[in-house]
Amino acid sequence: MENPILHTSKTYTPEAIHAIQERAELGRYHIRGFGAFRNVPRLDDLVFLTASLTRLPLEGYREKCETKTMLGTRYAKRPIELEIPITIAGMSFGALSRNAKVALGQAATWMGTSTTTGDGGMLAAEREASAQLVYQCLPSRYGFDPKDLKKADAVEIVVGQGAKPGGGGLLLGQKVNQVVAGMRSLPEGVDQRSPCRHPDWIGPDDLRIKIEELREATDWQIPIYVKMGATRVKDDVKLAVKAGADVIVLDGMEGGTAATQSIFQEHVGIPTLPAIVQAVEALKEIGVYGEVQLLVSGGIRSGPDVAKALALGADAVSIGTASLIAMGCNKPIYVEDYHKLGTEPYHCHHCHTGLCPVGIATQEASLMERLPVEEAATHVANYLQAMVMETQAIARACGKSNVHNLEREDLVALTLEASAMAKLPLAGTDFVMGQ
Amino acid sequence: MTDFAVADLTTLTSTSSTPTPSDGSPVDCQPLDCNGLTTREINQALKAIAATGQASVTVLNPTGRHNLAVGLETSMLIRFEGSVGYYCGGLSDHANLDIQGNCGWSVGENLMSGQIIVRGDASANAAATARGGKICVLGNAGARAGISLKGATLIVLGNIGAGSAFMMQQGRMIVCGDAGANLADSIYEGEIFVGGAIASLGADAQVEPLTEADWQMLDRELGDWNVKAQDYAFKKVVCAKQLYNFKPRDFAQENAI
Ligand SMILES: Cc1cc2nc3c(=O)[nH]c(=O)nc-3n(C[C@H](O)[C@H](O)[C@H](O)COP(=O)(O)O)c2cc1C
Ligand code: SF4
Repeated sequence: MENPILHTSKTYTPEAIHAIQERAELGRYHIRGFGAFRNVPRLDDLVFLTASLTRLPLEGYREKCETKTMLGTRYAKRPIELEIPITIAGMSFGALSRNAKVALGQAATWMGTSTTTGDGGMLAAEREASAQLVYQCLPSRYGFDPKDLKKADAVEIVVGQGAKPGGGGLLLGQKVNQVVAGMRSLPEGVDQRSPCRHPDWIGPDDLRIKIEELREATDWQIPIYVKMGATRVKDDVKLAVKAGADVIVLDGMEGGTAATQSIFQEHVGIPTLPAIVQAVEALKEIGVYGEVQLLVSGGIRSGPDVAKALALGADAVSIGTASLIAMGCNKPIYVEDYHKLGTEPYHCHHCHTGLCPVGIATQEASLMERLPVEEAATHVANYLQAMVMETQAIARACGKSNVHNLEREDLVALTLEASAMAKLPLAGTDFVMGQ
Repeated sequence: MTDFAVADLTTLTSTSSTPTPSDGSPVDCQPLDCNGLTTREINQALKAIAATGQASVTVLNPTGRHNLAVGLETSMLIRFEGSVGYYCGGLSDHANLDIQGNCGWSVGENLMSGQIIVRGDASANAAATARGGKICVLGNAGARAGISLKGATLIVLGNIGAGSAFMMQQGRMIVCGDAGANLADSIYEGEIFVGGAIASLGADAQVEPLTEADWQMLDRELGDWNVKAQDYAFKKVVCAKQLYNFKPRDFAQENAI
């Protein structure tokens, strides 16, 4: 028969067949890096209504458009003062190579923004490279050291991450070399599972006491952030505020990770778009909007993403995956090494293997050499600079002399889903889905 | 769990291991009375007293308050006359505390070095994630004692609750009494000595015979508290290391047995 029609099941798709057969081989769940692969309603589904006759735009290049951002003004004596509303998210040394961590710190310093440690403690070289460093306090407490705490510019208590809210971390044995194991007080080569619950507190009432402990240990000088993966956002945000957080860090389901069970990335948590909206509503309902700052992350890739997050009410955004891509993740170089991992440039999500072809997500010295610190830092800084310019371009076109003046009124939705989630009118209509 | 009577506390308080100031001087400065002070003021006062080089200080009326003596870096002996709340001595680089009462959750959390004595009972999470130093509980300790322990020594003369030593990574626990259910679940490394009954072991934990060196160590550590290791049938719990790396179940092998 000529041109036979091949029927493809919509239930047993090639991907579903592959997934079943892979599990049949492995006898366990599938583990990978990156965030959700599936399509979700996202910031792309919103567009700006810029100035025309009803509003005056500002001159695109020259007119002032402020980007300064303050975080942690509620209780801390020394809030974080950033030049730009984009920070670098917490990514662990262990998941990332030393060069990658130092390059992120250097780039953030050049741009006047902060970077964040991660599961596994603070690297001395990272502290040195970063003018403003946020120190994560994770359930694992790997490498947590009161001395490093005193060197930190802010503390971030990690309750969860968007890629795996409710799940713990994973670092497969191939990345747990002598240095990483030493920093974490673990045996070398172990498939390390980071716990999902903190060892010393359990519910929000305990969290309040934990926050007081951290403040006492740091003399109430530095801000305390609470980071959560987006699930029951409204309740979580209110509880974190009640517990005493200065800043809420909210990570949507698109948020990246170095390794987790893929079922978490695809089936757990809510996307960044509705998460921002719910968080802003929660802060307003309890009267702390503006007093407690909101930092959001999960799939932020461009100036328009930043501008939309700010317009929806966030104070700043945080980037993980995009900062790695800026320094060369998924770049079409060393292509044969992507092939060895069974993937291709632009499709790699193999951070969990420790065999990163471009030297970012690895602990192998020979691979890490492929990532010269200065060049990587320059790329990240250039990318941040470009995102800031894009954000300002949109803000000026909306007639705003400060990117933080972007507002919901500047946005409309392109899809019914986005209209419902953002509670914004569908473009060209007065219709707000669900209202 | 069987009842466990703690050795007479009055004899314990008089043992030679009661920490003394480094210069041997028993002289205290003016006691610090918590009445009317905020936690912030108490902790600042403790740091200020330590900065004067004082060898020891007594704290009156702690009344179960949370976050006392947090974030310390001093060998000055701080004696609490009464019970303390959560996180006593937490996040300390070096601490030397003598709590003459009970303590709340997470005493000595993330301690790096030094010694904390709790003369009464400790609530949950005693010595959580502590990386160094020694925490001695002369009474019982609650659930999750020694959780995520990362190198410190935790001694409990009484019993410990359920879920103790969960995800323990390094260090040592010595428990004269009984251990609650699920002891040492998902332990990575370190060793736990239990003198009484173990309700149950958690995943990847196993009992292994004590060596002569273990008994000598127990004698040394417990001798400080006038307790004889030989009076107890100590069992040693360590990691079985069967779950270090992900691997599928071997069904063929399981069926062969
Ligand atoms: C390689 C990698 C390692 C990460 N490690 C941590 C970590 O140690 N702690 C943490 O809270 N989040 C960690 N994250 C999540 C990021 O902090 C952030 O929430 C996420 O990357 C934001 O989403 P994005 O990647 O889409 O920007 C990691 C992410 C990546 C990509
Ligand atoms: S290129 Fe490296 S950093 Fe990027 S996904 Fe692959 S392994 Fe991870």
